[in-house]
Amino acid sequence: MQQRKRLLAAAASLFFINSNITLAADRDSAKQLSMSNLPIEIGLSGLFSAGGSSADNDELAGLQAGGHDPNRNGFTMQNVELSLSSTVDNYFDAQANLIYLIDTEGETVVELEEAFLTTRGLPGGLQVKAGQFFTEFGRQNKQHPHTWAFVDQPVILSRLFGGDGLRSQGLRLAWLMPMAWYSELYVGAQNANGETVTSFLYAPGEEVGGHQLQDRSADKGSDLLYSARWLNGVDLSDTTSINIGFSGLMGPNSSGMNTDTVIYGADLYLKWQAAQSQRGFPFVAWHTEILKRDYDAGDASDPAHESLRDSGGFSQLLWGFKPGWIAGLRYDYASADGDAAADPLRDNRKRISPNVTWYPSEYSKLRLQYNHDKTEHLSDNTNHSLWLQVEFSIGSHAAHTF
Amino acid sequence: MKTYLAPLLWCVALLSVPQAQAALQVVTTTQDLAAITKAVGGKHVEVQSLTPGTRDPHFAQAKPSMIRKIYNADLLLLIGADMEVGWLPALLKSSRNRQVLPGNPGYLDLSTAMTLLGKPAGPVTRDMGDVHAQGNPHYWLDPDNGRLMAQAITERLVTLDPDHSDAYRRNLTAFEQRLADKMHEWQTKLAPLKGAKVIAYHTSLIYLAKAFGFEIVGEVEPKPGIAPSAAHLNRLIKRIKDDQIKLLIMEPYYEQRSARFLQDKTGIRIGIVPQSVGAQPGINDYIQLFDGIVSALKETQAL
Repeated sequence: MQQRKRLLAAAASLFFINSNITLAADRDSAKQLSMSNLPIEIGLSGLFSAGGSSADNDELAGLQAGGHDPNRNGFTMQNVELSLSSTVDNYFDAQANLIYLIDTEGETVVELEEAFLTTRGLPGGLQVKAGQFFTEFGRQNKQHPHTWAFVDQPVILSRLFGGDGLRSQGLRLAWLMPMAWYSELYVGAQNANGETVTSFLYAPGEEVGGHQLQDRSADKGSDLLYSARWLNGVDLSDTTSINIGFSGLMGPNSSGMNTDTVIYGADLYLKWQAAQSQRGFPFVAWHTEILKRDYDAGDASDPAHESLRDSGGFSQLLWGFKPGWIAGLRYDYASADGDAAADPLRDNRKRISPNVTWYPSEYSKLRLQYNHDKTEHLSDNTNHSLWLQVEFSIGSHAAHTF
Repeated sequence: MKTYLAPLLWCVALLSVPQAQAALQVVTTTQDLAAITKAVGGKHVEVQSLTPGTRDPHFAQAKPSMIRKIYNADLLLLIGADMEVGWLPALLKSSRNRQVLPGNPGYLDLSTAMTLLGKPAGPVTRDMGDVHAQGNPHYWLDPDNGRLMAQAITERLVTLDPDHSDAYRRNLTAFEQRLADKMHEWQTKLAPLKGAKVIAYHTSLIYLAKAFGFEIVGEVEPKPGIAPSAAHLNRLIKRIKDDQIKLLIMEPYYEQRSARFLQDKTGIRIGIVPQSVGAQPGINDYIQLFDGIVSALKETQAL
């Protein structure tokens, strides 16, 4: 939170966007581009929720640890996202996603969620991405809050990747491999420090498993966060397709001067869509991810040195039973070794979340979700929450990825 | 890391598909485009459609397997007029194939070869439902547009593969001749439909109506893409009775409850018409598509 720019930055970034548009138009003053045919796609989506929980607001902060989760009894402004994208020139495409939200103190927060360029035509099936972007890890991490199938992010992702998903500044190379099916290898290097790289060089002064985190410098190549992902996609039949991915992360952590974190995971996405479908319905989609983290806590010279292991996962089933209507069920679990029962980010936890979503059109949605939570760190081990979410989306027709 | 990389690269090398592709690789967004391309391309092209004819191409889902297909393509054919706007742009960004990006010879938007109907006169807002600002994109349902599509595709094949230009032009002539012969047959069979007032489910059959001289006077959907309300259906019932409308036509993939309700109340006949090649078994090319449509309309006995 401390690192986020506040209200002034909000005004500044809006000005920046406006001046950008003006500049683009100036460059082509001979043609006098009108707003309707500006070669830039602009979209705005807003995500709000209302709800209540058997937990109070302080406890909810630990239960709903995602930065864009509904996290308070009453109303939450989860995410207002401004997306801009365009082809830069013959060589690059670019995209920026700016997020505005109002925190529990009522302050407007601005995040530069992503801003990156990608190459358009490298040979050999290669593509480079550079800038600030979500790390390729699993399927869920890259998804923006307005595309989530549930109102909140999975517990294990909040624990290992923090409230805002794993993202940072860096480079990523993708290689579409010459196989008969879709098979793509991603390798990346990104800065390992900052609020959005939890599990690595974040955050000095805080604690992980009782180990005080230090202010560790990051000067060498080995101080970066390295990532790899191998994603495969196969059509099993005309109606069913499957994606299987394996991901790994390696980077320094700040519990010592020579300590590392390794995170690895696997993800599966299976989708069935009826041969004859109206607006993409009916369908069934099953999405499962498991993640494990090995966290070196304290240098070898430190008597309290230990290796912390965290693991967790989620499995969610979506059933689009008629056009515009989706019923969902998600199961979350997370656990860690050692004496972690009092730690909201490391205790044993299970959560079951049924929900139902109605899309009046592709540009709006209403979602009702119930969370049944079993936690160790709260005196009330069982918590119940009910959330109602609404979303709007205006501007250019955002293309959906798979 | 390095110890793992070597075996991985070996696996990739072993699994690699031989890239010996003599025929021109064409990828289309719909099976209608694929069928016409096959007709004029013959044995010199290899055609794959990204979506099946059983589904509404506007709501296709981008799948990783589509990236693979576009990556290998020499030519990408699309319906255009925002038909594929929900899924194709993201795929093109991921596909790393410069040849098939807009503005290149490997990219052909067939809507640019058509005069589109249903272009909204005023400004478009999303309150109007799924209205396409550039006009109605269901143009392949007029056989004469099929002819224009075949011509545009032929010209593009000739540009990309001049060695076989004679074969492409011969195939085009044969296709045009066959289409003209069949058009005569279809017109004769559907002659009783001339001037008839018809209800459609969605605003997707106006080109069919134009081709065969009937008039679509209303839709089951109150606005394109908006599910019918009880009030709207009641208005339709009155309309059907007042105007003595005898036929309701719709694609196989729409829900049939609303149409059955109208049928119960008014006795209107329902024609489930295949809207695309591949929409129903036995419809494997563009000619069979209209054979299927004509026989579905005849079967309603509303004529």
